[in-house]
Amino acid sequence: MHSHYDDDREDQDIMPDFGEHVDNGIFEQILEMDDDDKREFSKSLVTNFFDQAEETFVKIEEVLNNEKLDNGKRLETLSSLGHFLKGSSATLGFNKIRDSCQIIQQYGHKLTVDGAAEPNEQVCLEKIQAALKTARNDKNVLADMMLNETHGFFQPDDE
Amino acid sequence: MANMANSLLNMVIDGPKDGNDEESHPYPDSSSKSHGAVSAHNSDCLQAMTQHQEHDHFNDNDSHISASASTPSTQAMEEDHAWSVATRTTTQSSIDDTVTLQRHVPPTHPFAAPDMSLIFDFSPVPLLLLSSSCCITRVSKRFCQDWHVTEEDCIGKFLLPFLESQIRETGASKSRLIAEAVDDAVAARSERTSKAITVKSAFTCRARVIPIFRDAELVSIYLEWHERPSSEVLDNEQVQPGLSTDEAFRILVQATKDYAIFLLDTKGHIATWNTGAQLLKGYTREEIIGKHFSIFYGKEDLDIKKPDMELDICLREGRVEDEGWRYKKDGTRFWANVVITAVYKNGVHVGFGKVTRDLTERKASESRLIAAYEESEKLKSDFLANMSHEIRTPMHGMLSACALLLDSPLTERQRDIVNIMDESGQILLQVINDILDYSKLASGSFSVSSDVVGVASIITSVVRAVQTTLPPAVHFELFLAPNLPKSVQGDPLRYRQIVQNIVGNAAKFTDKGSIRVKASVDSEDNDSYTILTEVIDTGIGIRESASASLFTPFSQFDLTTTKRYKGTGLGLSIAKSLAELMGGRIGYRPNPERHGSVFWFTARFKKIKSLEQIQDWKHQMAAKDGSPISPIQPDVTVLQQRLASVAGTKSILLVEDNVINQKVMLGMLRSLGFRSIDLAADGAAAVKMVTGKPVGYDIVLMDINMPILDGNEASQKIRDAGVKVPIIAMTAYALKGDREKCLEYGMNDYVPKPVDRKFLIKVLATWILEKVDYRKAYDERLQQLKDCDEKLHRLSVSEGVAAARRESVDGGSKPGMALQGDEGVVKGWASPFREVDQAQASNAGVRQGTFQEPASVRIPKMLAQRTERTKVGPLPLPSGDQGAPMLSDAQQGKQELPNGGFAEGEGLNQLPPVSDGEISPRTLV
Repeated sequence: MHSHYDDDREDQDIMPDFGEHVDNGIFEQILEMDDDDKREFSKSLVTNFFDQAEETFVKIEEVLNNEKLDNGKRLETLSSLGHFLKGSSATLGFNKIRDSCQIIQQYGHKLTVDGAAEPNEQVCLEKIQAALKTARNDKNVLADMMLNETHGFFQPDDE
Repeated sequence: MANMANSLLNMVIDGPKDGNDEESHPYPDSSSKSHGAVSAHNSDCLQAMTQHQEHDHFNDNDSHISASASTPSTQAMEEDHAWSVATRTTTQSSIDDTVTLQRHVPPTHPFAAPDMSLIFDFSPVPLLLLSSSCCITRVSKRFCQDWHVTEEDCIGKFLLPFLESQIRETGASKSRLIAEAVDDAVAARSERTSKAITVKSAFTCRARVIPIFRDAELVSIYLEWHERPSSEVLDNEQVQPGLSTDEAFRILVQATKDYAIFLLDTKGHIATWNTGAQLLKGYTREEIIGKHFSIFYGKEDLDIKKPDMELDICLREGRVEDEGWRYKKDGTRFWANVVITAVYKNGVHVGFGKVTRDLTERKASESRLIAAYEESEKLKSDFLANMSHEIRTPMHGMLSACALLLDSPLTERQRDIVNIMDESGQILLQVINDILDYSKLASGSFSVSSDVVGVASIITSVVRAVQTTLPPAVHFELFLAPNLPKSVQGDPLRYRQIVQNIVGNAAKFTDKGSIRVKASVDSEDNDSYTILTEVIDTGIGIRESASASLFTPFSQFDLTTTKRYKGTGLGLSIAKSLAELMGGRIGYRPNPERHGSVFWFTARFKKIKSLEQIQDWKHQMAAKDGSPISPIQPDVTVLQQRLASVAGTKSILLVEDNVINQKVMLGMLRSLGFRSIDLAADGAAAVKMVTGKPVGYDIVLMDINMPILDGNEASQKIRDAGVKVPIIAMTAYALKGDREKCLEYGMNDYVPKPVDRKFLIKVLATWILEKVDYRKAYDERLQQLKDCDEKLHRLSVSEGVAAARRESVDGGSKPGMALQGDEGVVKGWASPFREVDQAQASNAGVRQGTFQEPASVRIPKMLAQRTERTKVGPLPLPSGDQGAPMLSDAQQGKQELPNGGFAEGEGLNQLPPVSDGEISPRTLV
């Protein structure tokens, strides 16, 4: 819908290929906000995001395992957690995580990804469980690409 | 002797008494006859008795017993066709049968019926009697007559071979019909009627078969042959063998399973019940007969007395049909189609026939279809919304580039090429717009917005735009009725589109002469005006044969000129749909004065009630200017620089719950030069902060989906508190509907998420650089608009025209453009052609794309070639009343609004290029 990648392609050469994980256009915008090539701002964002993601995953897991709550309540909570993380992953252009969050949000609303109704709450919970697993996995892969001390995109601080 | 005679007499008299206890001589003379024959031969005596029998069947038994033993009396009886005739020639069993029968005829009463034999023989119905083994034992005279046979042909024959020999048609199968009826009758121990057969004598008949039983024993089989008219034979051949028509219908109705078919009495109580009814409604016959049929209706229907209503209508109209929910015995409901028919017998109303079908399945599939259709419509509309953006955006980019290129120093040849590019681009854009509009109209997703419309200013601006494309031999004449309202409520964009289309067509097809545009009030009521707009040209005109299909999509009335007159052929059909959307009509007639065409259309507009209302629209329109579809897309870098120059003094509130998004937005805003940025993590906090300092922020960026209080509600609360700070929604959904939703909640614009930097720059530039600060009071603002209005109006007047005007002032004549209205001459030039806020105007500088001349003077088009465009500063203010609105205030009542000052806002998107990079999408028609 938006033409992020029309121009401003000068720093294309420094962008590694994150594959389907990252929308380069969006992520570039984040990088552009860095004051210098140390990438302090973007690095802190990415680090914060992975922390936030992990926190959210833990919350999602807790809700999934909390048998005391009734299913409706659980799905509602899961949906808003999904939406929450979808927002930040979309902002950073982390598409794969965003897509899993979308699944969590949708099934939390008892809808399929296409927006059709899914009345079976058990099915919804299972779908969310699966999406959580995918999201975690994607997050780990991406975190490795981004922050790995030897080959990550963001090199460790000089200090 | 006397004793002997007495004893003899006694013997004769008593003899029968011994033979049959019940026997007695009913007639005294009978005994005297016997008495007189005492001395006679016994046979004489018997003969006398036999003769007597002719009159007295009660002696039948006696005579028969005697006859069996005596030949002469037998002969006598043969002549009389007595029962014994049969017995002599039939098998032993049938003799037994006959005897049995005879024994049981009780000769009891003097007034009882005559001899059965007589009845049998002389019955008008052909009769046949069979033994239990189906051997013919007796035939009636009528049978012999009708079948053209003699007794001898029949008696003793078995039925089947006999029929086979008698039946005219392919005997075997037909005779079987009778045999089957006989078998059925015997098996069922009740009467049956066979299918019709035709015998050799051309006698067509059906057999009514009556088996006669004594206890479990089959005694005889009695067949009546009923003649049937031949037509009925044919009818009956279609009916199951052995069924009468009535019976067939009864069985048909009874056995039908898919339909509930039953009768109601005149009051609506159920009288019959078939299998279908039982299956459908769940009631058994015993449960339901006698109940009122309203038992099948739901509460809502009962509340409105639907059952009674249906019977009423049915009585009046003979029949009533309904579809709706009906209830079964178990309380479940089904979607039923019900037909009730009034039933009359011999002209007397006897009740109602009711046929109910279960359409639940069909109903379900219907709703599935509808859902699927709606889904596809939605997808289509979403697709269109996206496509319109996706296609138009690069087109605008290209056209902007062309315009920029044209402004740079170019060689003659280069300029020609770029002009071609530009022109083709404009046409392509028009084609795309047409097709998008058409598909939107076709899909019904075209909406008419509600803004301020300045009819006069729209028309003049269209005329002005089209004028540039006219050959010098054509001149425009503009007639605006003096009572034309300055501002009305409606969709200015759509109105302009129609005007542009028909004016453009007129220009396209007119090589010399004039194009006259007239606008007047067609009708007026308390709330609305209907405005009639006419365009009269002296062009090539339209052949009568073509005029019928003028408004049909993709029709171009003259294919030979297609190459010359470019277009999709959609223009007029779009104009037609648009006019209808605006509650009006569109039409064509030949020019009555000279060769050419008259196109006219009407459109209904609401009257504007209050100043407040106008201000609201003003806001909305202002919001639209910042929309992504806006063709005004100044270079982002320029905007960013300009934004950076003021950003330091501006204060922003960012409302966002997700910390990552907060950081990114903060980063982005800081990189744009903003330093004063407050943060709110949810809607409630935002409301508190904004209402805490109602003039503190220059702009609010509002996330929509947030805990505690979402962005929509928060915005509403802020508006409710009377704070007018621009609120920009940040939403992940960026389709048209969502945007409108944001506007509904009082927000001014939106940025799609994830936030694109360039997009954000544009929106911020719109609201910070271009819009008038919300903190300024209304009065001040109005004054500003008015000033701006006038200033622009002056700017729009070319130096040449200004000079002309000054001359005309000097010459003592009325200045400005004189408009010949139907009801007089309206003076003064129409309102300015566009609304641009001062800031924008002064920043961008105003380029004169076209020159405006007084329309009353026939002035050949002063070609405003792009190459000749130069930036001009504000022109000297014309003196006198040139700046006054076109229509006098007296005519317009007290409303002292700058005419078109608002209404022209939409014109921004529509006009030829006026400032750097601006290109209109709809310049050409």
